[in-house]
Amino acid sequence: MLSVEALKIRYGEVEAVRRVDLAVDSGEIIALVGANGAGKSSTLGAIAGLVPAVSGKVVFDGVDITGLAPEAIARKGVSLVPEGRRIFAGLTVADNLRLGGAMHLPAMEARAREEEMLELFPILRRYHRVKGGNLSGGEQQMLAIARALMGKPRMVLLDEPSLGLAPQLIDTVFDLIAELRRNGLTILLVEQNVALALEIADRAIVLANGEVVLSGTAKELASSDLVRQAYLGA
Amino acid sequence: MIAQQIINAVSLGGVYALLALGLAIVFSIVGLINFAHGELMTLSGYALLAALVFGLPFPAAVLVAVSCGALAAIAMERVAFRPMRGASVTSLLLTSFAVSSLLKVVFQNGISARPQAVAMPSWMTGAFSFGDFTIGVGPSISIVVSALALIALELFLRRTVIGTAMRAAAEDFNVVRLMGIPASRIIATAFLLSGLLAGLAAMLWVAQRASVDPLMGFTPVLKAFIAAVVGGLGSLPGAVAGGFLLGIIEVLLQATLPAAVAPYRDAIVLSGVIAVLLVRPQGLIPAVRVQRS
Repeated sequence: MLSVEALKIRYGEVEAVRRVDLAVDSGEIIALVGANGAGKSSTLGAIAGLVPAVSGKVVFDGVDITGLAPEAIARKGVSLVPEGRRIFAGLTVADNLRLGGAMHLPAMEARAREEEMLELFPILRRYHRVKGGNLSGGEQQMLAIARALMGKPRMVLLDEPSLGLAPQLIDTVFDLIAELRRNGLTILLVEQNVALALEIADRAIVLANGEVVLSGTAKELASSDLVRQAYLGA
Repeated sequence: MIAQQIINAVSLGGVYALLALGLAIVFSIVGLINFAHGELMTLSGYALLAALVFGLPFPAAVLVAVSCGALAAIAMERVAFRPMRGASVTSLLLTSFAVSSLLKVVFQNGISARPQAVAMPSWMTGAFSFGDFTIGVGPSISIVVSALALIALELFLRRTVIGTAMRAAAEDFNVVRLMGIPASRIIATAFLLSGLLAGLAAMLWVAQRASVDPLMGFTPVLKAFIAAVVGGLGSLPGAVAGGFLLGIIEVLLQATLPAAVAPYRDAIVLSGVIAVLLVRPQGLIPAVRVQRS
């Protein structure tokens, strides 16, 4: 469904991504793991069109989307939930959700979709008229995911959904990600919490210094020596 | 006398508020302080003059003039600012200075360096009185128009999708694009609104003076810029508060200062601005921007 070939990203003199190749099939969860600064977020940013690639190719559903504007990529059905949630703090929960679906669905369908999201995230119904900035970190993460789902994307890019959340909230968020996959959504997950990522993913890719150093099924990686020593602390 | 001064103060404040809002809307979305905003005002003034010369009835001429302001703002963005997208704040600022100077020269050489009289309808310069009070029609209209424009803008920003997207873009532009909302549409709308507001402000300004000249926009937009900074640059409620505050203080000083001190009015107002910014460097009502690493 999505393939990234020989992606290279540079910020000024710094090479953030040297070479990343990956492929995501429909209906899978792929985890992109690695240390801070390994190039995970840059890779997601390049797929979503926020970060320009120096070279390489991003193909979604057989269409080359490399270098398209973020809004164009979003309308093709790829939705990024950015690191740090980045919900609109001054807007109500309702307005945050409304913007998520505004360009993808006609008004009637958007309202129905919002209702589905409120079923899926009951906490958002409770705070429907509250400003996003007044929600807790976990609630903001729910809002960020719901907002990204409003446009009925076919693929979601999740950047560090566990960041800054209390342990029990992390479980809630990950249960939700698993549920979304059961409903047929394709997910590319970037996560620093490697153990958690490998628990939920079908396959995983390990990045280090901007390059793919290991890839395989989540089970294989969880038992590999490299991953156990470097990331799982075993 | 006092009632008249209050009306004048609120009416001047309203014009400053409209102009400051136009500056603030564009700044909040693209980070540009548009010094060519005053020329949008001047252009609308000349458009009103031309429409009246061509014999259009007054309401139609106002409509044409305000639309010209809006269209000119969109054209300005397309021609001058779009190629500079992503450039530094300084480059954008210099570009807006260039556009401003260019338009001034065009007005001076293409039309005339001297003020042109605009034939305002006679009822506008009239006054009505309740008992002892005499209130000018012009300033009263100005207050009503400013109030309606503020309400309409508020409704637009709260009730429409593009308005909501603009409020969101002022916080985090890139995430708005991730929602599939085109950047160019939001930016064009910001300029359209600023042009409409400049056009309306021009109508109110010309109504009080019955003339247009190439430098007409300079002083009011300078004041509006000060108002926007005092209010909190990029904050829309701040721009409105700053505009009214500045207008009211100016008229009050005008009315109360003894003749010997009157020439120092602007110096006194600007000292007040410095005092406000010393106490509140972010302005009276600071803009909300999400801090990110």
